[in-house]
Amino acid sequence: MTLLRCHELTVRFGGLVALDRLDLELAAGEILGLIGPNGSGKTTFFNAITGIYRSAAGRATFGEHELTAMSPQRIYGVGITRTFQRSRLALPLSVFDNIMIGNHRLLHHGLAFNLFRRRALRAELEAHVDKARALVATFSKPLAARLFEPVATFSMIDRRRIEICRALVSEPRLLLLDEPSAGMTHEETRELMDDILAARERLPGLAIVIIEHEMNVIERVSQRCAVLNYGRKIAEGTYAEVAAAREVQVAYLGTE
Amino acid sequence: MDVGVLGQYIANGLMLGVIYALVAVGFTLFFGVLDVIQFSHGDVLTVGAFTALATYAALTLAGVASPWAQLAVVLLVAVAAMALLGALIAKYLVLPLRNAPPLNVLLLTLMLGAALRESVRLFYPQGANPKPFPRLLPADALALGSFSLRLDSVLLLIAGVGAIAAVHLVITRTRLGLAIRAVAQDAETARIMGIDFERVVLITFAIGSGLAAAAGVMNGLYYNEINFSIGLLLGVIGFSAAVVGGLGNIYGAILGGFLFAALQTIGAVLLPAIFPGLPSAYRDVFAFAAVIGFMAWRPTGLIAERTAERV
Amino acid sequence: MKKEGVPAFAGTTIPGLAGIAAVAVYSYFFLHAESQAAVLGLVAAAVIGVPVLGRLGWLSRVGASLAQHRAAGRIGIAVALLIVIALFRSEHFAMLMLASVLFYTIACLGLTVQFGYAGVVNFAGAAFFGVGGYTSAVLGAQLPHIAVLVIGGLLAALLGSVLILPILRTRGHYAALITVAFGILFRTFIEVNDALGGPQGLQVKGMNLFGWDLNTPIGEWSFYANYVLVALALAALAFVLVRRLERSWVGLNLDAVRLDETACAVFGIDVARWKILAFTIGNFLAGVAGAAYSMMTGFVAPNSFTFADSLIMVSIILLGGVGSLWGVALAAAIVLVLPEKLQALQEYRFLLYAVLVIIILLARPQGLIPRRARDYFA
Repeated sequence: MTLLRCHELTVRFGGLVALDRLDLELAAGEILGLIGPNGSGKTTFFNAITGIYRSAAGRATFGEHELTAMSPQRIYGVGITRTFQRSRLALPLSVFDNIMIGNHRLLHHGLAFNLFRRRALRAELEAHVDKARALVATFSKPLAARLFEPVATFSMIDRRRIEICRALVSEPRLLLLDEPSAGMTHEETRELMDDILAARERLPGLAIVIIEHEMNVIERVSQRCAVLNYGRKIAEGTYAEVAAAREVQVAYLGTE
Repeated sequence: MDVGVLGQYIANGLMLGVIYALVAVGFTLFFGVLDVIQFSHGDVLTVGAFTALATYAALTLAGVASPWAQLAVVLLVAVAAMALLGALIAKYLVLPLRNAPPLNVLLLTLMLGAALRESVRLFYPQGANPKPFPRLLPADALALGSFSLRLDSVLLLIAGVGAIAAVHLVITRTRLGLAIRAVAQDAETARIMGIDFERVVLITFAIGSGLAAAAGVMNGLYYNEINFSIGLLLGVIGFSAAVVGGLGNIYGAILGGFLFAALQTIGAVLLPAIFPGLPSAYRDVFAFAAVIGFMAWRPTGLIAERTAERV
Repeated sequence: MKKEGVPAFAGTTIPGLAGIAAVAVYSYFFLHAESQAAVLGLVAAAVIGVPVLGRLGWLSRVGASLAQHRAAGRIGIAVALLIVIALFRSEHFAMLMLASVLFYTIACLGLTVQFGYAGVVNFAGAAFFGVGGYTSAVLGAQLPHIAVLVIGGLLAALLGSVLILPILRTRGHYAALITVAFGILFRTFIEVNDALGGPQGLQVKGMNLFGWDLNTPIGEWSFYANYVLVALALAALAFVLVRRLERSWVGLNLDAVRLDETACAVFGIDVARWKILAFTIGNFLAGVAGAAYSMMTGFVAPNSFTFADSLIMVSIILLGGVGSLWGVALAAAIVLVLPEKLQALQEYRFLLYAVLVIIILLARPQGLIPRRARDYFA
């Protein structure tokens, strides 16, 4: 069942065409690798899908929803979450607080509820503490034990994990991962991917688009790949097919 | 409306515009290099004006008689002194707080301004009272119909525009100006490229504060009077002008200065015409209301800051 | 609260209670001090003594003790406050000061919600305070005063909504400018408007709650003590409200909005909604406080609500530690009482105040009592 469908999606910044008539499809439960040289439009694609950038032309649909006309808040509401290339966590807040920011959809935000129905609030809080702790524990048990410490005190790798948990906690249908393994060793990367796949087990139907420069990761986790260059898709297929394609090699390595 | 009166309003508006522009340029320079709103800027203007006054008193005591010599020395001393003050403020108060939350710096400079203002009030002889400012410019006026064009207004206008033009030249045509612009755009890269960040900041603050001193002297020469709180309103207006024009942009600051003066003039002319008997203070209400409305329309000022946030 | 043996419980509460007692004793002497030498001596003692105590680790022990025994701490503070009130109950100045500190604390709690939580800067706090004051002046003779207080708050919130659109559309310094301009505009408007008393202002009828005329002293007590009690009640209410707000999903949303609007949007948080809520609640509190305050002072005038007064409010929340509620109370006490006590230095007091703020900002930028991490149900 096709979950995400992009048809001629185009994003322009003045005269620069960051995304050039992109056609892309994603099925439920599928993991798609998105690769390409720097500046090829991968993060732009994420930003367009999540409503941060307005598309200049083309459409993107998610199920029956028209993403190109929706606000970022509504897009989150239909089940699309993401991580960011440059970590965007609220550093003074605790791990739990940060994850709860991602859990917005499942919490009650009415003023009356929060101010006056304290017992109900406490019950909701405790339920979500347990949930968050369990989720974080799938990535790192020591991290789960420090759920209420400020994020600022954690290492980059732990922060990356926290960010991924923030994106997973609301049980999304589509998860966009932007270079999750950047700055990690092979060992840490392998571990992180294991954890992500394990978390995915518990969210049946979760589709993932993963932007990566680390080709081993793409080879290992993705079922399909798309390659972007200068905003245009130049190849699509399995990793093996794409790695062998001439255009892809030229894009990365240049011509003779 | 009598053409003469209209002409008077316009001349006054232009004068105010130049003074506001001078102050606004200072604000925008400080914001450009350090991302800081130096709220004591208006009060530096006051200190500059009083320094000029004190210098004049000293010159009179020393027996210097020629008004042009007096003017030159007074201006020189005020500008130099305020340039020094600006650099000291930058070095000891603003730079150390570079990494503190922006509101802390804002509050610090506000308090500094208050401290400067109070110091003038308390420590300058009879500082609490308005003080007459010497007439160092020719008092002649040109009669154009019912409109009397003061010669000193013209001179001040030319001087003000000249000062702004000089700063513009420095910023756009000199290596120092290039360094300032580099730091304003990206301090870290500028440092990597070998630019002495601290020196550039100190010089920028010196230039801005020197401009404020000039504005203070001009203000004194135009109204023939100064008092310890002139900097307060001028500072707020200068800040508003810089913001409306787009913080960090000198053209914007100049534009903003004249725009604010225009708003005040329109307010002073229009409102009493529409609502007879309306107190003149309403012109400030009108001007500030217009600023708020303007900010709703153009949230980043007339000449928007070119910052793009990397998502 | 963990179950500990009684000796252990007593042991760990002692530092906290001792800290409260020390502050109470100091306040007693400070309010009592008559000669300028005494006042300056006490100030010097604090300025030198507090950092020394900090170095010795005593302050963190007090803090840890209070954090561990919240209920005991609150009772301790309430008791200490009541004792101080009882000791000074017949002195006009002390009671007036205490009530003023409490009213300003309420207004600054409002500003804390706006800026400390949601990141919406407000340089027109005094203007909203003034709206409350003028409401009391105009409606105080016609309506029951409870209603007047609420209406004062509502009008302040309503007036603030005028600024919402520009505030939502602007960032940082630009947003600050809007409130600065508004504060000046409001004051000028009031000043030239003779219907509202012009520069002289208006008289305000003293507070009368369900028949209790607060301007009538009880026995030998100062009548201001009546206002202290009302202010204490209102402050406690405001405190609980703001504390609950912070320790809830709403508080989390506000913090998130302050820290990263883009991340907020991507996770479903409606940035505009929360900024509007914070701004409105903050202005409401300022309005209520202002309405009550002007009933106490008996008059309201444009000169009471200048930009300088808004600055004082902003400096209170910064000095106290942005987002910290107890910090606001402490800072309000220092900011309001200190200049009043330095009477002989009357002329110099604003200068000294400015210098003091500068020193604190350079030496302790995180404020007197920095905000602690969110603890939903402490």
